[in-house]
Amino acid sequence: MPNRTHLIFPAVALLLATAGADDKKPVPKLPPAAEGKIDFDADIKPILAAHCVKCHGPFRQRGGLRLDNAAHAKEGGNTGSVIAPGKSAESTLIHAIAGTDPNLQMPPKDKRLTDAEIGKFRAWIDQGAKWGGAIAVLDAEGKSNHWAFQPINRPKIPKGITHPIDAFVLLRLDKEGLSPSVEADRATLIRRVSLDLTGLPPTPEEVDAFLKDTSANAYEKVVDRLLASPHYGERWGRHWLDSARYADSDGYEKDTGRPFAWRYRDWVINSLNADMPFDQFTVEQLAGDLLPNSTSQQKTATGFHRNTLTNKEGGVDQEEFRVAAVVDRVSTTGKVWLGLTVGCAQCHDHKYDPVSQREFYQLLAFFNSDKEVDIAAPLAGEAERLKKEQAAFDMEKEKLQTAVAEAKEKKLPDADLKKREAALAAHLKKAPAGAKAPTLALGPARPTHVMLRGDFLRKGVEVKPGTPGVLPKSTGATRLDLANWIVSKDNPLTARVTANWVWAKFFGRGLVNTPDDYGTQGEKPSHPELLDWLASELRDGGWSLKKFHKLIVTSATYKQSSAVKPDAIKRDPLNVLLARQQRLRLEAELMRDNALAASGLLSRTVGGPSIRPPQPPGISELTYANSAKWVETTGPDRYKRGLYIWFQRTSPYPMLTAFDSPDSNVCVVRRERSNTPLQALTLLNDAVFVEAAQALGKRVLTEQKDATDADRITRTFRLCFGRLPLEAESERLAKLLTQFRKLTASDPDGAAKLLGSHKPAVVSAPEAAAWVALARTLMNLDEFVTRE
Amino acid sequence: MHPVHESMLQSRRDFLATSANGVGLLALASLLQGEGLLQASGGGKQGETPVAVLKKPHFAPKAKNCICIYLEGAPSQLDLFDPKPKLNELHGQKLPESLTKNVRFAFLQKETARVLGSNRTWKKHGQCGMELSDLLPRLGTVADDVCLIRSMHTEAFNHHPGQLLMNTGSTMFARPSMGSWMTYGLGSEGKNLPGYVVLNAGRGTSGGTSNWGSGFLPSTHAGVLFRNKGEPVLNLNNPGGLTAAMQGVTVEAVRDLNGIRHATVGDPEINARISAYELAYKMQSAAPELIDISGEDRKTLDEYGLDRPEPEIKAARGGGKGEFRAFAANCLLARRLVERGTRFVSLFHASWDHHSNLDVELPHNCLMADQPVAALITDLKRRGLLDSTLVLWLSEFGRTPLGENRGGSTNVTGRDHHPFAFTIWAAGGGIKGGQVIGKTDDLGWNVVEDPIHVNDLHATVLHLFGLDHLKLTYKFQGRDFRLTDVGGNVVKKLLK
Repeated sequence: MPNRTHLIFPAVALLLATAGADDKKPVPKLPPAAEGKIDFDADIKPILAAHCVKCHGPFRQRGGLRLDNAAHAKEGGNTGSVIAPGKSAESTLIHAIAGTDPNLQMPPKDKRLTDAEIGKFRAWIDQGAKWGGAIAVLDAEGKSNHWAFQPINRPKIPKGITHPIDAFVLLRLDKEGLSPSVEADRATLIRRVSLDLTGLPPTPEEVDAFLKDTSANAYEKVVDRLLASPHYGERWGRHWLDSARYADSDGYEKDTGRPFAWRYRDWVINSLNADMPFDQFTVEQLAGDLLPNSTSQQKTATGFHRNTLTNKEGGVDQEEFRVAAVVDRVSTTGKVWLGLTVGCAQCHDHKYDPVSQREFYQLLAFFNSDKEVDIAAPLAGEAERLKKEQAAFDMEKEKLQTAVAEAKEKKLPDADLKKREAALAAHLKKAPAGAKAPTLALGPARPTHVMLRGDFLRKGVEVKPGTPGVLPKSTGATRLDLANWIVSKDNPLTARVTANWVWAKFFGRGLVNTPDDYGTQGEKPSHPELLDWLASELRDGGWSLKKFHKLIVTSATYKQSSAVKPDAIKRDPLNVLLARQQRLRLEAELMRDNALAASGLLSRTVGGPSIRPPQPPGISELTYANSAKWVETTGPDRYKRGLYIWFQRTSPYPMLTAFDSPDSNVCVVRRERSNTPLQALTLLNDAVFVEAAQALGKRVLTEQKDATDADRITRTFRLCFGRLPLEAESERLAKLLTQFRKLTASDPDGAAKLLGSHKPAVVSAPEAAAWVALARTLMNLDEFVTRE
Repeated sequence: MHPVHESMLQSRRDFLATSANGVGLLALASLLQGEGLLQASGGGKQGETPVAVLKKPHFAPKAKNCICIYLEGAPSQLDLFDPKPKLNELHGQKLPESLTKNVRFAFLQKETARVLGSNRTWKKHGQCGMELSDLLPRLGTVADDVCLIRSMHTEAFNHHPGQLLMNTGSTMFARPSMGSWMTYGLGSEGKNLPGYVVLNAGRGTSGGTSNWGSGFLPSTHAGVLFRNKGEPVLNLNNPGGLTAAMQGVTVEAVRDLNGIRHATVGDPEINARISAYELAYKMQSAAPELIDISGEDRKTLDEYGLDRPEPEIKAARGGGKGEFRAFAANCLLARRLVERGTRFVSLFHASWDHHSNLDVELPHNCLMADQPVAALITDLKRRGLLDSTLVLWLSEFGRTPLGENRGGSTNVTGRDHHPFAFTIWAAGGGIKGGQVIGKTDDLGWNVVEDPIHVNDLHATVLHLFGLDHLKLTYKFQGRDFRLTDVGGNVVKKLLK
């Protein structure tokens, strides 16, 4: 947060300026104490950490002095006390750093403190020399003993079990006296793995094929089919877009639309479908533009860091928001790949983790000279179309120009001339433009300074690009160097963080349950050896995500039943030990995908611009000056998957937010899964879900002509859940159908209305409406919104 | 149990405990059962009313409910709340450079900017003699209940960051808003309505939904937008042609079929969903009942001014025609929500961003707001609700004593953004009314007495609800976050 005082008391700067006058004495004079209240953590600690504790800390005590905590500092050094609280001019420390005694000038050599820094020390001592927390000091080599920073040593797989994952998990369950669950039944299993890998439910036919397939590798075949599906990239792409804080608008105030943000989304989907190795996937997103002879696609990948917020509010300081975007790039990179809350070090040294404020700005220096560039990135077949459009445009332009010239020549009345000029001006605005892609590119070199308290107006020392000292050293100073360092074998974080991120998507929680914090405040891994084995497997297996997914979903741990076992839930209520699979409520986008898939409405077209399906009235009116007009998409595109829904940051699509989709303003590596009445209302009454029910009702009535009620109930049920209904379920649904028939028969007009635009020709409106109501009921069941 | 697990279960309980925003006691019971903390009793009883689970505050509270009236854009304190005769004396003159030197403005050109006097007349109101401008005569009638704070300051000088700071305690995105912290800390007494409701009049605010988001708190704590006409809650109405009877049958079947599933898989989350559906079904009648004001007597409707004539105005900043009624109705609905136990009600209106045309548009907005806001306070008092209901009048910052000369323009009719000193007010809920807190200098430029930062205000608001702002925390990314970020002191002078 920016400092408050300088805004309130602008006169301070003036006082400081006049106090600088000097009366030429041979011995340097003590610089004046700084004005205002000193905050130890923000003002003093960083200087001590950077300049003093290396020689005056736990590992070395030059002159017998330690300055890393209050107790030792109070003791003083070999010459006695160095800090006299309340009296800075009498403190040895001040004279040493000011260099008034030629024999005692600290820090030695050329690393002298500035007058402003010395002034801060004076003010701090004058104000009582109050200490905050101790200064984190690493060992002599600057290393930490925190688990996540240690190199990944591939652990030995426990013997006796075929699948390595199961070997680790079972060993732990055995130790705790728990046993795993049986394998889930096949219908559940295929629905689970289909939802996890593609986000779409299996069709009843796919379920049947799997049930009938008696070959030993029946399941593996399903997994391979799903991994090869183009919908795989959509499913996992959406996970990644959470990390990328993807949205289709600027964020602040006017929240202007970003018509080409989707080009980056397409890049993500295509790259995942192609199983681009995760290291390459990383490097292209962070520095695709800096690769030798980089392609348009590689540049498009850098759209990752174009998803930052933009403020086009009148009267904003552009530099303030440029800096905010760069800060977000650093924080997001830290969180997504390193699992560290480096953003905490924007204003002060990290309170808990060994990341100093200076190191934050060293990371920032990698990004600070970047500029935002929208490159021309023509779509397939676009060049031809553009050429035609341009020709038509030029022709019309010429015509209008001639008309204007003519009016001038013939001295037509003023009104006529104005009219013709207006027509020309209007036309000129409609010049055909090709598709673009938002990218990051290197701009002119910009020096990076520590920003005191994170305030962009308060520049501290200049820093050069560098990675946190607690991790293995990086070489080089470009964004590309940083990207290569992030995926280098020496950096233990990226592989652990990514393996855990993937794991959490399959089990509902990570082996490290704080996926956004692998620092000292985060949780320790529940299965440390499994985590390291997975991390090494991912990294050393060529970073193939598909291979990694296959490894996980073919384990017995993944395939076991998710039914709650009474004994285990008491012992392990959060299922940390994995004595069963976990039932997981579907993500927001998947709610809609599944309803559309069951009803047959779903458009399976992959990629392309964002869509605007129907949303309740009054939503985009909430935006600033109603700036985000919602023009409904028509045609089949309206039924494209949820990840394609236009995301307007100041008025997000309400169905998505009702089901916990992130607000896309900051990166999110784990979604909430809440359970609220507003969700119930959405599934019951939102236009999209009502239409899905209408289409599903029509589908089961028209698909089979001579089917019985029982057949149709089973069919509806299977389109929703894959499995066959239990007897109790069939009975209850038959009763429900009777209830609905009675009600719709007494209200034929209402029944006709309930059918919307999906009226089947084969039956009466009341009969069709009863089936719509039945379909709607099924789509509101817990199982419909749950990955079992 | 491992402390981390315990805290996670605790947060699950918190999330279930927020009445209509979350689920209810039924689900809570089933969760506790799942945890083995309650004796098994065959799952949640069907048809049982979910009851809100209230959480204990840190100490005895003064306030139980909050109505937060947010005037987006920054109403001019110099023309409403903080009289500065000096401005009229210096009208048209330059200010000394020392004052403007290191100050950033949104639009104002420092070199040519001139002081802008106020065309308002001022009057003392109530026994306390609170000075207010002629644009707020009705507010004057409740001056003895109002605590006027002339010494607010903030560090944000653009709208969206400023709004985030005032509503969430931080200029950063993705932090929970005041109402979210409140339902997180206390739950809500409302049985069939959400604990945190948002009402909007006029065009949208520049902050949009981020002003009432739950940030990193579970989304059950987000504000729920109610509309004052038509469908009060999104998707509340059944689809066309689907009767109430059919909806009843549906919800019954959902319960039975979910029950069958529960018998198979035993997941307590299914019981939570059963409860959510029953509560949703109840909201379908409770929410329309809430916005149905036909039971209010004529006198009340007239006091709030629902049917007042609305003068024509030529201005792009307002929300167009119809906002007089919408704003008045929202004030009335706020009272009705409080009566029904909703913990936090947010009223938004945009916009008061008078860079120009100040003397036309500010009177228009005040004509809209003055009467219903005063009526709300009077009405709450009459019903004995004011003592336990905190009413706030807020905005993101104030406006400059200098006229706005955007682009060097000499046609100066408005004021720019001013974060260094602005005015807000509070009433009821343990606030000491009939007093003016803080002073600004002769120009209204800086605070010279009792500076109160936004974080201080938030600390004080939480204090009124029996919450210690240092203890109301939520662990996120390894850090304990608070509404007051890293600042905040309770301002004792505001308290009764």
